Amino acid sequence: MKILALVLCLALFGMAPAQKVLAADSAATDDERAARWKTIAESVFGDRKIEPTETLIKLDAPQRAQDAALMPVTLIMPEKDKIKSVYLVIDDNPSPLAAHVTFGPAADPGLLQLRVRVDTYTNMHAVAETGDGRLFGTVVFVKASGGCSAPVASTDEEATKGMGEMRMKFTEGAAPGKPMQATLMIRHPNFNGMQMNQLTRNYTPPRYVDKLSVSYGDSKIFDLDADISLSANPVITFSFVPNGKGPVKVVASDTMNGRWEQSFDMPATTN
Amino acid sequence: MHALIETAAKAAIILGTALVAAVANAGSAADVNEPHGLWIGAMHGQTPKVLSGAVVVDLAAIEALMPEKPLLLDVGPAARKPEDFPSDRPWLPIHRSIPNAIWMPGAGAAPLDARREELFYRRIEELTHGDKTTPIVVFCRPECWGGWNAGKRLVTKGYTSVRWFPAGTDGWQDKRETTEVKPDTEWIAEPTR
Repeated sequence: MKILALVLCLALFGMAPAQKVLAADSAATDDERAARWKTIAESVFGDRKIEPTETLIKLDAPQRAQDAALMPVTLIMPEKDKIKSVYLVIDDNPSPLAAHVTFGPAADPGLLQLRVRVDTYTNMHAVAETGDGRLFGTVVFVKASGGCSAPVASTDEEATKGMGEMRMKFTEGAAPGKPMQATLMIRHPNFNGMQMNQLTRNYTPPRYVDKLSVSYGDSKIFDLDADISLSANPVITFSFVPNGKGPVKVVASDTMNGRWEQSFDMPATTN
Repeated sequence: MHALIETAAKAAIILGTALVAAVANAGSAADVNEPHGLWIGAMHGQTPKVLSGAVVVDLAAIEALMPEKPLLLDVGPAARKPEDFPSDRPWLPIHRSIPNAIWMPGAGAAPLDARREELFYRRIEELTHGDKTTPIVVFCRPECWGGWNAGKRLVTKGYTSVRWFPAGTDGWQDKRETTEVKPDTEWIAEPTR
């Protein structure tokens, strides 16, 4: 253990000054990444224009991932009343569109947190769609790799145990009409078809959560269209406004016709 | 804990062999022996620190070798499209590698059927203009037996200047720019099994 720690320290020390990239190459690489984004944007958004923004949507992700199969990503939308939906794109993942979240009337669309798989060092784009149908985008570069083929668990049986079980954690201080945060956790391996079963050496067939719908009472909080880029055991933090009667209801479905439904009562309100 | 070991192991690979030797001598779990022939187990996993007949290289060593115009041979896997992937979602796999690398996805697999193996040797012969002393750098991703196997095949075939870069594309992209590479057209012209 001591030696491990020593190696780690030395490694970190040794790597630190090497962050600088070759200046000669980076212009070409930037062009390449820009061209890549153009291809993706055309594929996802057609000929709709994406305007750059520093205020409508912000993307917060660790510059270097601890675990490329579990990279936390936070979308912040300060002018939340303008936001209709948000897209998360991981440019160099084979399936770049990781998630599209459409907010409903019970949403407080100022914040959304997800965990994603990252295949290689890549640009990550967040695009906000405003109520008037315009698109605004922002970008960060993240250093993570290998997240797509990383095994979910040591065996497929272990990975699928308890599939569909959900938990919800609410922040404290619930009050009617006051925005509050909740974190939803779903047990699901989210097999993406790229993970190899280490015993049989066959690829585990894909099976992933592709739709998630969360409401408060009869009022929609959000719909999520998800993809193989979401991490195993998805964890989603969102914000909503509890008006009227709950509970918070979650409906999740996956690509193998799995469907799970669960309701969560809010903690007692404080008036 | 597992993640820590993995991180340490990856970092150690980047650092070079001296520290690795220290860890290995200390009886670390990261100590893997060379198989006698090709590795036919799972492709993803801890690899040996050495490849007999080849030189294990780090980033600095590759850069020092660049003036000799080595054949940069990437055998990293291609992305697998999930079955029944929705047609209305973009599927746009991209492979980033060391600039000017030749990418032969899956060329380190073992066993490889005879025709594929023959094609592999033929392509290498073409790319090195029949000169078995041409420096060749084989690589994949970290913890990828494919890179080791491809290097083993070349050594066995009589190539005398084989370098194995175990840190692979990750070790490169951590400090240098990558470019998008397409699979070698002749390599993918024949259907993969």
